[in-house]
Amino acid sequence: MANFQPYLQSPLVNFNLPAQTVPADASQKVRANELPLLGYIVLRGELADAAVAQAITKATGLAVPAASRFSSGEAGVLIWQSPDECLLVTARAAVPALLAACADAFAGLFAQAVDNSGGLTTVYLSGVEHVTLLRHLGVYDFESVEAGDAVSTVLGKAGALVCRVDGDGVFLVIRRSFADYLWLLITKAAIPYRFAVAKLPSAGKSPFLRLVDAGSPAKRPVAA
Amino acid sequence: MFQIHCPHCGATREEEEFSYAGEAYIARPAKPEEATEAEWGDYLFMRKNTRGWFWEQWQHTAGCRKVFAVKRNTVSYEIAGTWTLAEGKELYLKESEA
Repeated sequence: MANFQPYLQSPLVNFNLPAQTVPADASQKVRANELPLLGYIVLRGELADAAVAQAITKATGLAVPAASRFSSGEAGVLIWQSPDECLLVTARAAVPALLAACADAFAGLFAQAVDNSGGLTTVYLSGVEHVTLLRHLGVYDFESVEAGDAVSTVLGKAGALVCRVDGDGVFLVIRRSFADYLWLLITKAAIPYRFAVAKLPSAGKSPFLRLVDAGSPAKRPVAA
Repeated sequence: MFQIHCPHCGATREEEEFSYAGEAYIARPAKPEEATEAEWGDYLFMRKNTRGWFWEQWQHTAGCRKVFAVKRNTVSYEIAGTWTLAEGKELYLKESEA
């Protein structure tokens, strides 16, 4: 096994999205693209407990979000998942430091931070008809998803977190193991809406898009 | 085909997001070593299978992944309410006494 060289690759690597990417324009009514290789940290601990909430804020610099909402800041995006679970989406490079900070802050508490970066990926879905497309895929009332909401629901047969930052589009946080299925489902359902794999908009202050620039190249050797 | 209110998310969602988790509040024999085979068999296999109002567990698998209690009418599918397991247990015990 001496020659084994582990490397990072996106769960959607076989679709070769970078090669398909075209500039965004108004004729594309549904656009999608992946935010590859972000960092995902699962934070467990009773969020109603002030000590746990303070520890999370101390370690990440982010406020603990209300139910079905997310908060964002320098470290990334903190998404509410359940009364005792949050998901921190961050730049891949920032994961080790954040894990260490969480382990420090959680000392003595019934709380835990776990790296799940290999298990999830994010897709940005935008275009004027992106809500219509979501309605093809799931039973949730997607028109009611407002900026700052993070709704955990089902798309087709797979679970997904639907996060809205602004009216332009939504970020879908999906499992690696279902990424293939969901991408095929999205691209097929979006054919009537002139689907395109569009270049991601410039990051600006978007809490998710900002993380891509701070992230990693598509294929990078990592220390074994 | 119906909607369930999740007491943990504080939201009413489609049934598709939930999974059924069987009858609620089945008491495990307090001293399993001393329980007779009949008692243990009852605990493991015997279910009420009520026609009418029924206390059952549902899990919000696509959301918060928590199990909670639902009081549902198995004939009309009407839902009387949903509670966290701890809150529902008080009501359940009060009802089963009456």
